[in-house]
Amino acid sequence: MTAYRLLAGALEEVASARGKLRKIESLAAALRMLEGDELVVGARLLSGSPFAEWEEAVTSAGWATVARAAAAVTGWDLETIGACARAIGDLGEAVGLLLPAEPPGTALGIADVDALFRRLATLRKAAEKQALLEQLLRRASPVEGKYLLKTLSGGLRVGADVTTMEDAIAEAFGAEREAVARARRDSGDVGETARAAREGRLDAIRFRLFHPIGFMLASPIEEAAEVAGELPLLAVEDKFDGIRAHAHKSESRVTLFSRTLDEVTEQFPEVAAALAQVPGDFLLDGEIVAWRAAERRPDSFFRLQKRLGRKAPGADVLAEIPAAFIAYDCLASGGAPLFEEAWSARRERLDAIAAAATGGLLLSDVFRAATPEELERAFDAARARGNEGLVLKRVDSPYQAGKRGKLWRKWKKAAATLDVVVTAVEQGHGKRAGMLSDYTFAVRDGDRFVNIGKAYSGLTDEEIRELGARFRKITTERYGPVRAVAPEVVIEVAFDTIQKSARHKSGFALRFPRIVRLRPDKTIADIASIDDVRELHRRVSGEPGAAGSDTGTKTTA
Amino acid sequence: MTSFLAPFLEGRPEGLFVPAFDAFLDPPAPAARAILSHAHADHAVAGHGEIWATPATIAIYRRRNPDWPGTERPLAYGEEVSQRGATLRLHSAGHVLGSAQVWLGGAGGDALLYTGDFKRRPARTCAPAEAPRARTLVTETTFGLPVFRFPGKDALEERLVAGCREALGDGETPVLLAYALGKAQEAAAVLAAAGIPTVLHGAAWKLAPEYAAAGYPLPLSRAYETGPAAPGEALLVPPNCARTPVVRKLRRRRVFYLSGWAIREAARAETDADVLVPFSDHADFPDLVRHVEETGASRVVATHGYAADFARILAARGIEAEALPESAERAAEEA
Repeated sequence: MTAYRLLAGALEEVASARGKLRKIESLAAALRMLEGDELVVGARLLSGSPFAEWEEAVTSAGWATVARAAAAVTGWDLETIGACARAIGDLGEAVGLLLPAEPPGTALGIADVDALFRRLATLRKAAEKQALLEQLLRRASPVEGKYLLKTLSGGLRVGADVTTMEDAIAEAFGAEREAVARARRDSGDVGETARAAREGRLDAIRFRLFHPIGFMLASPIEEAAEVAGELPLLAVEDKFDGIRAHAHKSESRVTLFSRTLDEVTEQFPEVAAALAQVPGDFLLDGEIVAWRAAERRPDSFFRLQKRLGRKAPGADVLAEIPAAFIAYDCLASGGAPLFEEAWSARRERLDAIAAAATGGLLLSDVFRAATPEELERAFDAARARGNEGLVLKRVDSPYQAGKRGKLWRKWKKAAATLDVVVTAVEQGHGKRAGMLSDYTFAVRDGDRFVNIGKAYSGLTDEEIRELGARFRKITTERYGPVRAVAPEVVIEVAFDTIQKSARHKSGFALRFPRIVRLRPDKTIADIASIDDVRELHRRVSGEPGAAGSDTGTKTTA
Repeated sequence: MTSFLAPFLEGRPEGLFVPAFDAFLDPPAPAARAILSHAHADHAVAGHGEIWATPATIAIYRRRNPDWPGTERPLAYGEEVSQRGATLRLHSAGHVLGSAQVWLGGAGGDALLYTGDFKRRPARTCAPAEAPRARTLVTETTFGLPVFRFPGKDALEERLVAGCREALGDGETPVLLAYALGKAQEAAAVLAAAGIPTVLHGAAWKLAPEYAAAGYPLPLSRAYETGPAAPGEALLVPPNCARTPVVRKLRRRRVFYLSGWAIREAARAETDADVLVPFSDHADFPDLVRHVEETGASRVVATHGYAADFARILAARGIEAEALPESAERAAEEA
C-alpha cells in the first residue's frame, strides 16, 4: 500500500517548483513510484480529480459542510474556522494548517482516498458528507488535508494543467508525448493512460463512441489585427451563444455531452431525435441553441437558459423553446477517429454527413477574410445575426481535445462599457486566493444603488492589492467571505450583452462582465443610471437588421 | 471603551495614555512625551517632544530622524522609574534590536504589561523575550488565529540556509525580502553563521553601527552601495524593493519572502516570491497563548491583527479578554 502522503508531498513540490520542467519532474518522480491500480488512481489524484474524465461522478461538499467537518476534527469552533479561512484565503489550506503534524489515525493509503471520494460522490445529505469528511480528515496530516480539500473543491491550483500531466507520464515511463496525449484523449482518463504508458501498451487504447471526449477550446483575441498574419489560414465561423456539445451517434443511438462532460441527452430530446435521423456513425462537435424555426436562426442564450437545469422538458417547454444542434466539426466518422486530421479534412467529412442527411443537419457557415477589415465586417455581420462574435480556426489544426490553444481563436467584442460602483467584494481563487479580487457592482437608481453584476478580473495584481487595502477600510458589513463596502470605488466594466434578469436588484444582468479599468477620475455622481441600462438593453436586444436574413447557419439540401 | 486598561492606561483618541507618566504608548501621531516599545515606523513616528525607550531604540530613532530636536530618556531593560505611585520598567520583547515590553506596576501588586510587538522564538540579533507577571496583559495579536503556527528556530534557520545554498548551487542569487530593521540583520546573522556572505540594501545597512554598538557586529555583511551581489552572496532588500531594478536587473535570482504571512500560498502571487519562509518577528498563535499563561494574566486586551478573534478564543477558555476597538482598523491595513 502506498500512502497518500506521497501524492500530497509531490503536489506540494509541484506548487513551489518554478517552471514547467521542474513541475513535470516532480510529477514524474511520484508516478514512477506507483503501479497497477495505485498508478491509475494516483495519476488521477495528481491531476486534481478522483475520477476519470469520462466518469460522471462528482464529489461536492459545500463550504459549510467542510467547515463543520473541520471544526469537529480540529476542535475549533466554526467562527474560528471561518476567520482562519479568510485569513489564509482558502478553506482547504486553512484546515490543513489546523491539523496536527502527526495525525492519530492510520495513514491514508491512495486506495483509501479513492474509496472515500467514491463514497462521497454517492452521498446526498450534508450530514452524511460531513461524517465521511471527518473520517478522512482525522487521518490526514496538514499537507494531506490541504490537497484532499483542494481536490474536493475541484482545483489543485499547483500550476500543472493536463498537458503538464501528459508530459509527466511521458517523462516517467519513457513514452512519446504524442502517444500519451492521444491515449488520454481517447480513453478520457489520465489514470488508465499512465498505467498503459508504464506497461508499454499505449497503442492498445482506442477511441470509442459514447465515451466522452474533452473539448478543444479557443483563446480569445481582442482585435482583428492580432491575427492579421494568419488570415489566409483561418476559417471563420459565427460564435453561437448556446451550449457547446458533442453528439455521439451510432445506428439509432444518440448521446449528447456538455463541456463538463455531463450527459445532457435527456434535456434535449428533440435534438437527439433529429440527430438519430442522420445516416452514419459519427462524433460531431457543435452548439445546442434555442432555435427560431420561422426565421431559421438561433435565439438568445437567455431563452435557452430557461431549459437548463431541468432533467426532461415537458411538451409545453419543447413547444415554447425548441432547441437545435448546429454542427461545426466532425471528430469521428464510420468508427474511425479524425482528431489528427486537419480541420479542413474534418469539415469535408462533416459536409458529407450533412449531404447524406438531406436537410436534417444544421451546419455553421464558414467564411474567409483576406484582411482585418474584412474580418471586422464578418464580425459585425455575425452580431447583426444575433450571434456572439466569431470563432477563427486554423484550417490545418488537429482537434486538441481538452486543451485551449492558439490554433482556435474566439473574438467577442464588448457591446459597450458602463461606469459602475463597487458595492461588495470577496476573495478570489487560484492565483488570486487571499486577494479581494471579485467585485459586485451597481448602477444608480435615484438615490439608491442597484446591483447589476459581478466581475472577477481585468485589473493587475498590483491594482487589486492596492484596492484591497481600501476595500478593507470601507467595509461596512461582512457576510461570510463577502464584504459589503461603502459605494465609492468607480470602475468601468465591459460586457458582451445585457439581459433582463431576476438575479440582480436592477432587473438586468450583464453577460461576461469584465473590468476594463479603474476610474479614479469619476465619482458615484458620474456612474450609469438604471435608465442608461434600460436604454442600452433596448439597443442591444433590438431585432437584427437587414443582414438578419442570413442566419450564420445553413441547412444542406 | 475597554474596561481592563484602568488604572494604568487610558484609551484616548490619540492612543494609549499612561496617566502616571503623562505619556502615550507608541502614539500614531507626534506627542509631547512618548514611550516607544521599538523603533519600527508604525510604532515610532517622527516628531515627538520627548521619548522614553531603550538605548538601542533611541539610537535607531535618532539615526532615522537625524535632525530631530527632541529629548530622550534612555531606560535599560529592568531599570525602574517610579512616579505618582506607579512604577515603569522595560522588559525585552525579542521582536527586534531594542524592542521592549512596557510593565507598569501599582498599589497592592497590581500590574499591567504592554507587549508592543514581540516574539518568543530565540533570535541572534536581539535579547530573548521576557514574561514578567502582570494581572492585565495588553498584547499584540498580529497572528492571533490558530492557523498561524510557525516552525521553531532551528527548523526555520535550516530552511532558509538550505534554500539559499540550493539557489547558490544553481548559480542564482538568493534575494531575501526582509524588513530593514530587525528581519534583515537577523537573516544576515543566520546566513553568516552558515558561511554565506550577504549584501544589505541601504535602509538595513544604515543601522549596522547601532547593531555593532549593541554587540551584534553583522559579520560577512556589506553595503549594497559597495557593489551589487557577486556570485556566492545573498542580497537582502526590503519587501517594497521586490519590483524595483535592484532586484529586477539580477537575471538569475531566487526570491525568498521572509514573513509570517508566508504560510499563506497567496503570498506567492502577492510578492512574486519563489520561496516562502515563515520567518517572522512576531509571536505565532501558540506563543501568544503561552505568553498569556506565563505572565499569569487574568485579563487580556488584544490589539493589532486578529484581536477580536483572539479575544473570543481566550474568552472561550475562561480568560477575560477584549479587543482594543481601533485595532480592527489597523489590522485591516496591515493584512
